[in-house]
Parts: sequence; structure tokens; C-alpha cells
Amino acid sequence: MSKHDTSSQGCPFAGLDRRRFLQGLGAAGAGIAAAGLSGGALASQPARTAEVADAPTSATTGQAYPWHGAHQQGITTPRPAVGMLVAFDVLARDRAGLEQLLRILSERIDFLTRGGSYEQRDPRYPPVDSGILGPTIDPDGLTITLSVGASLFDERFGLAEVKPRHLERMTAFPNDALDAARCHGDISLQFCANSEGTTIHALRDIIKNTPGLLMVRWKQEGSVPVMAPRPDGQTESARNFLGFRDGTANPPADDRTLMQQLVWVGRNNAEPAWAHNGSYQAVRLIRNFVERWDRTPLQEQEAIFGRRRDSGSPMHGGVEHDLPQYAGDPDGSVTPLDSHIRLANPRTHGSERNLILRRPFNYSNGVEANGQLDMGLLFIAYQADLQAGFITVQQRLDGEPLEEYIKPVGGGYFFTLPGVQAGDFLGSGMLAAADAIREA
Amino acid sequence: MLISRRVLLAAALSLGALQAQAAVAPQALVAPITDYKLYVLDNLEQFTEHTRAFTEAVKAGDLARAQALYAPSRVYYERIEPIAELFADLDASIDAREDDYENGVQDPTFTGFHRLEYGLFHERSTEGLDAYAERLMVDVNDLEQRVQGLTFPPEAVVGGAAALMEEVAATKVSGEEDRYSHTDLWDFQGNLDGSKKIFELVKPLVEQDDPAFVARIESNFAALDDTLANYHLSQGDASKGFQTYDKVSERDRRALVGPVTVLAEELSTLRGMLGLD
Repeated sequence: MSKHDTSSQGCPFAGLDRRRFLQGLGAAGAGIAAAGLSGGALASQPARTAEVADAPTSATTGQAYPWHGAHQQGITTPRPAVGMLVAFDVLARDRAGLEQLLRILSERIDFLTRGGSYEQRDPRYPPVDSGILGPTIDPDGLTITLSVGASLFDERFGLAEVKPRHLERMTAFPNDALDAARCHGDISLQFCANSEGTTIHALRDIIKNTPGLLMVRWKQEGSVPVMAPRPDGQTESARNFLGFRDGTANPPADDRTLMQQLVWVGRNNAEPAWAHNGSYQAVRLIRNFVERWDRTPLQEQEAIFGRRRDSGSPMHGGVEHDLPQYAGDPDGSVTPLDSHIRLANPRTHGSERNLILRRPFNYSNGVEANGQLDMGLLFIAYQADLQAGFITVQQRLDGEPLEEYIKPVGGGYFFTLPGVQAGDFLGSGMLAAADAIREA
Repeated sequence: MLISRRVLLAAALSLGALQAQAAVAPQALVAPITDYKLYVLDNLEQFTEHTRAFTEAVKAGDLARAQALYAPSRVYYERIEPIAELFADLDASIDAREDDYENGVQDPTFTGFHRLEYGLFHERSTEGLDAYAERLMVDVNDLEQRVQGLTFPPEAVVGGAAALMEEVAATKVSGEEDRYSHTDLWDFQGNLDGSKKIFELVKPLVEQDDPAFVARIESNFAALDDTLANYHLSQGDASKGFQTYDKVSERDRRALVGPVTVLAEELSTLRGMLGLD
């Protein structure tokens, strides 16, 4: 049934050091870059020359991230080229309906992230699958991450008593211009994969399998530019639509102790026990005014971010992952005090507890009435404590010079459910905790 | 009623449209299809009558009366859309929306109910609408003629149950159908009635094999009726009409979306269950 490619990445965490595992990721890009060159060469019959409408090929369609485990995939899993965040309203009317929904979602995520083939039906019926990936579905590095919004804990499902402590409805920051049609949701699903066909296929599968239980509230697709692997095996952070690297200062995801402190809810967080091994997901749709940005002098752009654009290095030079030196620069003559990276992460004593794990994608939607491009950042960040994480960081950024070029227009706060073991379903612990309180 | 059930039955039996590989005996569909044609013709007759009164009110310059007759006239059309849509030219000239035209309301080929709706409810005037009213009446008479002579394709009839729910899902729950009059709930009920009628006619053919399917369909139809009943102008009587769509609460909009989606999904299997190609 399912096609696993155990030779490539498999489960990416245990025992792998960060560099090796990033090299593995680099190979994904190489596969895509080599598309079309090797087609037919090994076949016994005369090779058909590549035709215009042939499908591009990729060496990483077999990549799979098995989703059972303490944590859900798609958080510390390396970010692939394509991402999509979909917020839904839950239409189920009671606890039983919600459980049915969570069971179906778990079953679909299990199938879609492993891949395989689906039931062939009498052609007089609608097919069970959209067919957009063909009769056999490759996992293609797909992860689907289920998170719940504060509204799920209202009166409908009897969950009010078990709401994670910091989960709240996102409220506007001073520079925000929130569009109600692109905010909040009872649940969010984050889809990440090597190619867009895979994320769209997964979304359509989930919609088809949850009629009457879910309604799409809003969705945002994004991507990050794919790079050729470097000869020295080093990797670099991807760039955002302002041309700057994004994620350079991310805490290393292979540092399990650090992830336990910063990303995963645990005993130190004073959260309900069911929420342990979950995480807070902050989502922001941040429009970038790219035409205006492209008309801004480079030195001003770099002062606004606090990094060199091309190398991604700190202002004093060097390479991307060199640390900025703020101790010898108390008045900001090298890295301005109000630059983006210095405000976000001042590297002062105690500020390490405000670190968040960013997993952003760039989005490009269309054209505004003024003829300017509607594009920006699908910002997604994970943290064990929403207040100490995203909210604190964003409050530090309020009023930053970058605000002239960006406008947050949507998003929401969600709580990413803990992972599950085989045979269980996502959210079972949350439902059981609420049941226990009700029966007590 | 011009055509008797007996004449229709004879006509249907003489057709090879019902293939032998059907999961139910082909003859089993003859009676439901015949009954459905009677239902359609009955609704068409009323549609023609109501459209006549409506278009005459427009031409007489009676704005209030024309506004009042707009939604009640459309209900009959909404019920029989699976058949009416078989005539794409008439469906466009009778029921197209301004979104169907690049130049919207200004497009000279934009005619029919929604063009009149724009005049009556947005411009609040009957001025300049005479030609549209006359054209609509001609089109509706034409439709009635054509349907009388039509052999109903079983797959269009059976598939119509789901198609009507797709109509609701696509334009009614968003309030886009009647954006100026906000009478979407009338259309909603019309589509729902039409879908229920088809389902009821073929239900005897599926309920033995799959009683759970029938129960799911019926409970979701009932859920829609219940929610729509919150907006009856006269409690318990859908025929007296509905409040405007802007009155529908966010909660009830969601309560409508769920069953509509379930019905669209479930009813999409009906053709397969009956073995129709």
C-alpha cells in the first residue's frame, strides 16, 4: 500500500546532528533542480524526448515524516518549500461531533503523510480521491499540524475548563489592520510539503472527508525559495520577500533540551496536563509593501533589519550565523537599537526565555486596487508560552521602523495539540480531561 | 395540467434512456421520473402565472407590487432548476447574475430576474425596466413550451437532487444570489424543496439497501427546514416567505452550511446507487 522511502530522510530527529539533517534537506532542492534531465535515460525502449507539458520530477516525493509520536510533526520538522495555513470553523454541534471530527482528521493525517493508494470505486460514483496526485499518493514530505483556537473552548463542546492558560483570541497590535475575514478560527491546519500539489491534495482530501463538521474560514498559502546545495554542505536561511534572510536566530530544533524549554509545553508551564508536549502557534499574515521597499536605499533597509542583506551577517560583517555583538555597541552605532533583530531578540540576560521557533513562508496573493502587489509573510511561530514568546516579542517590536513597510492583516493564536501514539486520535487527552472534570 | 400522467408514462417507457446495467430495474425509475415531470410542469405553470403578474406590475410602474412579487415568483424556478438548466440559453437570460458579465450591470446582454432585481431594489424604480420585463415573460413562456416537449434524462433528474444542494452551497449561504433584494432564503427553500422532491421520489428504490443513507439525508433535510423556520414571516408557514438574509445570525449561517455540505456530498452518490450512467 503505502510507499515509504526509508533511504532518504525518514524520521529526522533522533541521533541526527543538525548539519547532516540540513544536508539531507538540501538534496530536496537538487532533486527538483535536476528535473527533466534524466527522464527516460534508463528505459529499455528508445527514450522519449521531454515534452513541454511533462510533469517536473523530484527526487524527494518518497520523503515521509511518520506522524505518531510525543509531538506533532511540522514544528521542529525542517521547513520544506511549500506551506499552507488553513483556519476552519467547526460545524459539529456537540462533543460527540467534535470527537468524530478529531478521529477523522487523525485518520486522514495518518494516511496522507504516509501515502498510499485509495479505494477504486464504481465509476458511476464520485471518486473517493480528487486524483490530482494520481492513483498512488506519495508523502512528498507532507506534514499536517492540527491546532485549536480559543473559540473551541466556548460553550459548544464543554471544553471551557481545560483551555490552555495562555490561549486567547488574538487582539490587534498598534500597527495591525486586521481583516476579520482572515482572522481566528476554531482550529488551524498547517500543511507543509515539498510541492504545492501535495498540500492542495491534502486539503481537498480533508474537506471531502469532513462534510458538515468543518468549514474553511480562511486560508493562506506560501512558499520559500528553493536553493541549490552549496559545495561545502553548509545551509543558509531562506529569504523573505524583502530580500532578507528569515529565521537566522531560530533556536536549533535538534537541541531537544532547548526545544523542551522553548517550544514544548511541559511541567514548568503550569498548563493542564493534557497539553504537555503541545505548543502555542502564533500565525500572522504580514503584508509587505514591496514596491516601496524596493525604492528604499540598501543601507536604510539594512539598518531597519539590523543585518546585511546579501550575506545575512550581522552589521559588523562576517557570515550569516555569526552572532551580533551588542555589548560593545550600547548606543546602536553598529546595529541600531530600533532595528528589527535587536528589538526582537536583544540578547540581554533573561531575554532567552522569549525565543520562539519561527517557521515562516512567503505569500503572494494578487494585486491591490492601487496596482501594488499583495504579498508578504505567512508568519508562523511556535512556543511553549505564548505570552513570553510571540506576544512579548511583538510588543518589543511595536513602533519599529520596519512598520512603514509592513502591515499585519490577519492571523490568530492556536494551541497545537500534543502528538499521539498509533491507535489514538489527536485531542483525545483534551476530551478526556474535560470529561473527567464534568464527571467529578 | 395539459399532459396526463398516463401519456408521460407511455413516452418514458418507449425510451432507451434507462440502461440495463442499472443497479435497480430500469422500469423502477419510470414512475418516479414521470411523477417528477408532473411536478416540474406543475411548478412551471405556477412560475409562468407568477411571472406574468410580476412583469405586469413592473410594466405598470407599480414598484411596491413588483418588489413584493419578485421573490415569490422565483421560488418555482428555483425548485425545478435541474430541468430549467438543461436549456442554457434560457437559464442565462432568465436567471444570470451580474457576476456572469465582465461589465456587470452595465452589460447590455444582462437580462432576467436579477437585472430587474437591480432596478427594483437597488435603483428603487421601474423606469427603463419594461424591455427586461417583456423579455423575461417571453423567455418563461418559451421555457414552459420546451419543457413540455422534453424527455427527462434520468441522470439529470436524479443528479438534480445534489445539483440543487450545490446551488445552495455556492450562492445561497453566502447571500450572493439576491444581493439587492436579500430574498435569498426564498430561493434557498425553493432549491431545498426541489431536492427533497427528487429524493422522495427515488427513496423507495434505495431505502431497503441503505436505510442509514436515507436516515442521514432526511435528518439533514429536517435540520435545514428547522433553521429556515427561524426566519419564516409567518411562523410555521414557508409559503408566506422569509425575512431578508441580512437578518440571519452568524450562528444560523453556520447551522445551514453543515447540512448543505453533507447533503451535497451524500446526494452526489445517488446516481451511482441507482446505477445511472
